[in-house]
Amino acid sequence: MKIEKANAGNLTNFEVFDFLRSRGATSDPMGCIGSVSPSECKVFEYLSGSPACMQTRESVNEFFRKADKFEFITSFEKLNIVNSTPTVMPALYATIKDCDKRIAKEEEQIAKENQLEEDQLQELLELVKEIFPQPAEEQEELSQ
Amino acid sequence: MFYLSQVEQNLKMPPHLLKPSLLDGELEKGIRGELEKRFLDKVITNLGLCISVYDIQSFEGGFIFPGDDGCATYKVRCRLVMFQPFVGEVIVGKIESCDEFGLQVSLGFFSDIRIPERFMVQPCHRGEDGIWVWQFKVDNEEFQYSLDIDEEIRFRVASVKYPPTPVEQSENSEPFSPMEITGYINGDGLGLVSWW
Repeated sequence: MKIEKANAGNLTNFEVFDFLRSRGATSDPMGCIGSVSPSECKVFEYLSGSPACMQTRESVNEFFRKADKFEFITSFEKLNIVNSTPTVMPALYATIKDCDKRIAKEEEQIAKENQLEEDQLQELLELVKEIFPQPAEEQEELSQ
Repeated sequence: MFYLSQVEQNLKMPPHLLKPSLLDGELEKGIRGELEKRFLDKVITNLGLCISVYDIQSFEGGFIFPGDDGCATYKVRCRLVMFQPFVGEVIVGKIESCDEFGLQVSLGFFSDIRIPERFMVQPCHRGEDGIWVWQFKVDNEEFQYSLDIDEEIRFRVASVKYPPTPVEQSENSEPFSPMEITGYINGDGLGLVSWW
């Protein structure tokens, strides 16, 4: 076996979920037999329990487009955010590596820059909530 | 967590698989089946665990070499969906078991994820029933949060290792895991999902 390209492109969880769904995987493990292998079924089952099952291609593309303006996050972190869709600030801190170190730069400017970056993080969180609504919130809207 | 990997493989198609494929005109389906048998659920060192065959880009050949039992050899170029989380990625899994060294977390399709004690939320200790407990102190009040089995846990990947295949294994040793992920939960937003 020859590895031509070790990394021919990163995939979001949603893309893998969509790919397996188009191959015939369903949440019902018995229904999968024949079209996909049991191990692919297990991956599908895991992804069905993650935020990826609620996403659409358009929402993922929209997020990447809008997240471009946040210069302090790398593309890996954007991928991380799409895969885990944090809804609270601590979860967002977890996805962005060395969040606190990036925020605090020179000592004189710490307070001012802290506030600016904090605002940006808040904006990012709002963007995530807007593009990837949580099921609980959707149910609340329905009941109202 | 997932990415595509392009590989080239010399695939031997046994005659009993070739015959139905060629008759149906679906050689590609037969080749896909063989590729899946070869790669699915297998760990390729430094690439990760192969989840699925994404697509077949090209195949050529079909020569039958002498001494090959009639197998036709095709040179196939295909893309595989590989599972290999990058260091620093945040993943949600389920606590499968715990022992004196730490926790073992599972994703359903992959279970060799360990969170050793030094990477767990500090301070923590192991209770009498074997469950790890986080002692959280704030304003002189102490809270105890236990890391129960079957709870969903959010962890960050610290490293992905591919230990070499052991030549000999004693009977009582643990089954060999070709890919080991080490995670840590000592940070904001990490640990049980229900905590945040």
